[in-house]
Formats: sequence, C-alpha cells, structure tokens
Amino acid sequence: RRELPDGGARPSVAQFKQLVVSALRELHGEVGAALPVDVLTYEEKTLSAILRVISSGLVKLWSALTLLGFYQNRRCAFRVLQTSPFLLALSGNSRELVL
Amino acid sequence: MVRFKNRYVLCEVVSEDPRCRHCIEDRAVGLAVRDAIGRVHGDYGLACCSISFTVKYLNAYTGTVLLRCRKDSYRLLCSALPFVRQLESRNQRYPCLLNTLHVGGTIRTCQKFLIQYNRRQLLLLLQTCPNEEERRCIQKSLLSCSLTEEQSQSGDEEDDDGTE
Repeated sequence: RRELPDGGARPSVAQFKQLVVSALRELHGEVGAALPVDVLTYEEKTLSAILRVISSGLVKLWSALTLLGFYQNRRCAFRVLQTSPFLLALSGNSRELVL
Repeated sequence: MVRFKNRYVLCEVVSEDPRCRHCIEDRAVGLAVRDAIGRVHGDYGLACCSISFTVKYLNAYTGTVLLRCRKDSYRLLCSALPFVRQLESRNQRYPCLLNTLHVGGTIRTCQKFLIQYNRRQLLLLLQTCPNEEERRCIQKSLLSCSLTEEQSQSGDEEDDDGTE
C-alpha cells in the first residue's frame, strides 16, 4: 500500500501509473520501465494505492518510488505503509485482530 | 586477499561507413557506451558501471576496443552494448555496431584471445580475397605472422589497410 501526500493536483489512475513507470525509468532505465507493475486499487480521495510487482522487482520499485521527488513541479513523497506477499494481509492490521 | 576485481570486455566496432574509422576515439566510444548504459539501466546502472569504467585499448584500424569495468557490474555493461547505435565526435555522427568478442578477467587473457582471433580473421580474409594482389599481400603478412608474436599485430594492421 502506498500513500502519496501532495499540495494540489490529484492524479487519476492512469496518471498514477504513468508516475510510477516514469520513476522506474529515471532510476533503472528502460529495463526498469519494462518491469510489470499493476495498480490493483487506487483511491483518489486519500491518494493511496495497492501496487503489485514481481518479487524480484520489489527492490527496484521501492527504490524508484523513494527517490521520486516531483509531480507536476510540486514536491511529493511516496510513503510505503505495508508490503506483503499476500493481498489478504493488506486488508487489516493483524496485531489488532480480536479472536 | 581483498582487491578490486575488474572485467575487461573486448568489442569490435562494425560500421558500413568507411569514414567512421577516423572518428573512433577513446573519448567518443566511452561517451557512447556511457550514454547507452544510462538509457538502458537508468541513473543507478550508469553510476554502478562508471565506478571503474575506462576504455583501455583502442585500435582504429581494426576497430577493436577494450573496455574495463567492475566485476559486479559487467553484466549491466554487456547488456547495454547492443544499444550503442552511433558514434559521435567532432559534431559528426556515424551509425555503428559493437560486437562483443570476449570477456576476460585480465588484459593478458584478452590479448591472447585477440591474437588468436586476428589469426583466424586473416585466414578467413585470405579465402574471401577478390584479386591476386591482395592475396599476395595477405600471404606476406601471414608469413610474417609466424615469426614472433609482436609482428603479428603489425601484420593485422597492414592487412586491413590493404583490404579496405
């Protein structure tokens, strides 16, 4: 799950994906831009999304998102909230689970 | 026993344009390769491969180039070499290709390979010779090849000047 705090403009889903791919292209070149990344969900209100990537590409994706600083000439930052190999684990906080 | 290990990549510059020979310089080739790495592998790849990157040896007559890089990043370099499409020097661009001939750990192994490769190339050129005069030229340089190792290098240069 990723959260993206911003000053003004709110990107749409396609623009968000374009942002991710361009970050990969800057840091890792054409090879990075060719990494298959999927946006599974995207909420425009909270600007948070769930991304899926092959496990060997996690390091490249995370480093590219960390080093992305600007969106449409405004400063922005990606915050990674949670990573997990299972989608179900992203739905809730397992520490607060009440059995 | 901690030392920096390098890999030496031996390549050949292939170009249809005969004027390209004059613009093969170490700076031009180095810039072209760095540019290709930057395009293919991004900032990270460029920085990774540029740590110990130099053009160690260049022969403009035969178009042989010897590049050096770190052992950890030689795969990035080798995968970016097919993306070198043009050489630029003195504001002139020539399309060209880079064929990888050999990857070695030391300059000595690359030199041994280059000597054997040049010998085989001379024999191939002898077979595909169009006229008698060039045939005699190549036979002369082949005979001078068999004397000492240093003479074989100068024999290659003569031969390429003759057939081009």
